[in-house]
Amino acid sequence: MDIRLLHPSDIPHVQHANITNLPENYFMKYYLYHALSWPQLSYVAVDVSRPKKTPYDYPRIVGYVLAKMEEDPPDGVQHGHITSLSVMRTHRRLGIAEKLMRQSQRAMVETFGAQYVSLHVRVSNNAALRLYRDTLGFKNEKIEAKYYADGEDAYSMKLDLGFVREQILDEQEEAEADEGEPVGSLGSKDDVNGEGKEKGDGKGKKRKVRVGRGLGVGDLVEKNESQKA
Amino acid sequence: MPQQLSAKEQSLFRTVVRNYEDKQYKKGVKAADQILKKNPKHGDTLAMKALIMNSQGKTEEAFALAKIALQCDMKSHVCWHVYGLLYRAVKNFEEAIKAYKFALRLEPESQQIQRDLALLQVQMRDYQGYLVSRRSMLTSRSGLRQSWTALAVAHHLNGELSEAEGVLTTYEETLKNPPSKTDFENSEAVMYKNSLIAEQGNYQKALDHLESAGKHNLDKLAVLELRATYLAKLGRTEEAIKAYRALVDRNSEYKTYYDGLIAAMGIAPTDHKAMKAVYDEYAEKYPRCDAARRLPLDFLEGDDFRDCADKYIHRMLDKGVPSTFANLKHLYSSSSKKGILPALVQQYIDSGKSEANEEPKRNGDTSKGASAAYYFLSQHYNYYLSRDLDKAMEFIEKAIELEPNSVDFHLTKARIWKHYGDTQKASEAMEQARTLDTRDRHINTKAAKYQLRNNETEAAVKTMGMFTRAETVGGPLADLHDMQCVWYLTEDGQSYVRQGKLGLALKRFTAIYNIFDVWQEDQFDFHSFSLRKGQIRAYIEMIRWEDHLREHPFFSRAALSAVEVYLKIHDKPLANGVNGTGETNGEDAAERKKAAKKARKEAQKAEREALEKKSEPNKATREGDNDPKKKDDDPDGAKLAATTEPMNDAMKFLTPLLQFSPKSIDAQVAGFEVFIRRKKHILALKCLLAAAALDREHSKVHSHIVRFKLALDKDLETLPPKVAEVINSEFNLLPASTPLTQYNDEYLSKHKDCARRTLSALSVRKLLSPESSPACEKDVLSILKFPTVTFEEAKEALELLSSWRSSQLESFRSGAAEKWPKATIFAAST
Repeated sequence: MDIRLLHPSDIPHVQHANITNLPENYFMKYYLYHALSWPQLSYVAVDVSRPKKTPYDYPRIVGYVLAKMEEDPPDGVQHGHITSLSVMRTHRRLGIAEKLMRQSQRAMVETFGAQYVSLHVRVSNNAALRLYRDTLGFKNEKIEAKYYADGEDAYSMKLDLGFVREQILDEQEEAEADEGEPVGSLGSKDDVNGEGKEKGDGKGKKRKVRVGRGLGVGDLVEKNESQKA
Repeated sequence: MPQQLSAKEQSLFRTVVRNYEDKQYKKGVKAADQILKKNPKHGDTLAMKALIMNSQGKTEEAFALAKIALQCDMKSHVCWHVYGLLYRAVKNFEEAIKAYKFALRLEPESQQIQRDLALLQVQMRDYQGYLVSRRSMLTSRSGLRQSWTALAVAHHLNGELSEAEGVLTTYEETLKNPPSKTDFENSEAVMYKNSLIAEQGNYQKALDHLESAGKHNLDKLAVLELRATYLAKLGRTEEAIKAYRALVDRNSEYKTYYDGLIAAMGIAPTDHKAMKAVYDEYAEKYPRCDAARRLPLDFLEGDDFRDCADKYIHRMLDKGVPSTFANLKHLYSSSSKKGILPALVQQYIDSGKSEANEEPKRNGDTSKGASAAYYFLSQHYNYYLSRDLDKAMEFIEKAIELEPNSVDFHLTKARIWKHYGDTQKASEAMEQARTLDTRDRHINTKAAKYQLRNNETEAAVKTMGMFTRAETVGGPLADLHDMQCVWYLTEDGQSYVRQGKLGLALKRFTAIYNIFDVWQEDQFDFHSFSLRKGQIRAYIEMIRWEDHLREHPFFSRAALSAVEVYLKIHDKPLANGVNGTGETNGEDAAERKKAAKKARKEAQKAEREALEKKSEPNKATREGDNDPKKKDDDPDGAKLAATTEPMNDAMKFLTPLLQFSPKSIDAQVAGFEVFIRRKKHILALKCLLAAAALDREHSKVHSHIVRFKLALDKDLETLPPKVAEVINSEFNLLPASTPLTQYNDEYLSKHKDCARRTLSALSVRKLLSPESSPACEKDVLSILKFPTVTFEEAKEALELLSSWRSSQLESFRSGAAEKWPKATIFAAST
């Protein structure tokens, strides 16, 4: 299994994985909209060991995360959003979903200065809840009543990406220390009307970082996104 | 001379334009009519009215009116622009481009026309035209970075890399202050320029540019990846190693990074020890990493392989990872590895270690330890390279005994039934698996697929309907069309082929054809959108992909099936029109009549039901339901199947197949079949030569060579001399002096162990000497004794005998039933 960026040529198989696994489906154009607006954010897990049957075989997608940045966020804070994530039943328990998510989260911070990432999940989807809450550290924001087409409620969840920024800064410090250059210029770029907040990074060091103000997620328009693209 | 409008009417005309833009179509038509009352020949007004009518869905009237508008005022750019827009709306892009060009000649300053033209040009891949347009657009809006980037893209697509780079540089030089680090458009433009430099092969320059201009680029991953590639190409070993290490640290599940690292380290591909050491280092560093533990299995051999595989298998089975077998089966191309892997799993079971299965089980998931090991062995014996279905069934039953509610186990049981050829039992087993976790769409999907394989059309739609959107008008099937569910439409179509319902089959394959049209059309908006977003590299990648969109197996599978159906219709026109059984071979007229009557009754029933639905008072009808455009006048594909020119219709599918998948032997074979029937000898020969170049010994290539020769002998005199000359000089697949029968005999004796090729030679023999038919048909039976004969080949033999209406059909069937006792297709019909 390779974990790598999603390319436009992957889309038919990503769409196939999506409609095989999940009830929320999208036109190809909506996938293109993601891949061409935020090409750094969506990742796929690919079965590369499969031998090619014809010269025109495309790699089979066994998992994907389709991610975006919220356009014109209602709270004015740059943040990412997970549109869809799934892993084929036959390829579960390898930690693929988590690995896909971590790659995407990192790119959200690096490339688009995301302060946090949000998503929706069915209240009954225990496996997904375990992943988001226990493994990745998402917090429950609120319940969106009847969010799904079949009438089920959604948890609106959110993960503060401050820790990713910390990690990037640390790595950069290390790298630049090696090269003997002055430390970090990256941290200053995300001054999105945020307020300072103390955060530990687990290694004993403490640094002041900006993580954005009262992170209430407004009306997410995800329900109608397929028309928007 | 065009009519002139009074001041009042001019203002009214502006209202018409505004009404159109605001989608107030009725008002617009009213206002236009008001102008036309006094000035019935005012071209621009007529044109605007046509445009509005087109938006109301009155395409034909709109075209007629637009033509009148042009007759009234040939020199109006509005009339030409509208004419182009109408053509654009019906996707006749060539004509639209022509009309836009006329309009632009009359009004060279119009940015709107120029823009519409440019977008169509790039959509149509008229890169030279696009370049001209973009140059002109840059002149009028040179302050905008987008204009420069767009011109660079035009050069790039037109193959002029250094010009493209030059345009970007020129723009950069106009900048007085360096753009801010968070300027995304700039960040991406830098990376785009870097990709242009690299594409020209100048890696030193690309590296220098990356390390200066790209140093703080927002696309960190791209910088890291490119830098590693450039360093490696430039032989800067130490730095390349460091760069690849950074990439593995970032994502340790990507083989490309390990390959890059190992290559940069100068490790020879034969030095397995050194390679393994690299992977071991990362396996230790990242305890949850799979790739570092699995990839060495690809190159290790003997005891090294055994040790490594043993560790890997223990780890996976302890965890109960259901994809363990899927992750390893590619190793089965090595016969020694194919032997070692199941032995290790057996040892795992025997060691008793597997009993440590304490963690509570998750709902429906595969469990750990012993059951996971049985599961592995079952998949092993179910796999085509190591198949022993009875053993596979034995192991899956053991696994199920340990865990009766495992969805995965029951799923595998269904797959074993599928390989037995028992579509009924397979479908039932998958349905049972589905009921174990009704909230999981993946197992639901599989259940529906297996129902289709068992020709349970209705049941499959019902199964799918558990997850499709309930509010979609037209039910689950409409939703599956809406959501471009290619797999379902393909399987449904192929199931209809098996059921002889050729109209419905064509309907489904045509739906897939249309989906690919939509996917091609989908890129249109991105020609402008991507420039606004500034994401150029992703856009270029999309263009490149869309260029050969229809090479995708999703397309070729459906297209090949469609061609197959058209061939059937050509060879044996349907007896009873609508979706009757195409396979009415041996049945008598009464039987056919009965079938026709049944089909008629079904059609009437469907009609009645449709009417009832409509008149149901309590059901809210959504807007658009009565839209004449949306109504399908051929829901069952009866019209498609009733074609009198099936070989012409097949071209719709065949042309893209041959254009985009020329290296597919199936495509070339299909091409030959169509062209030989259309008596297009040169084109048939072209396909035959291409197929022979791919696989000279292919069973179809063999029979096509003979059939081509026969067709030639028959038609040669009627062919134009030039055609005959070309064919004679190109058709070199037959040795000149050998008679066809001898040629065929030689092929047969050369491939006497291969069932498929033997079948091909036998059908050729029958063709060459019809008097040998009884003997040939009898000889078909012999393939059942071939040690290597497969289920698929036996199925083909059965179909062959059936198409010959052979008296040996029953003997063959019962012989095959003995060999494949569980296969539905060989079961005695009751």
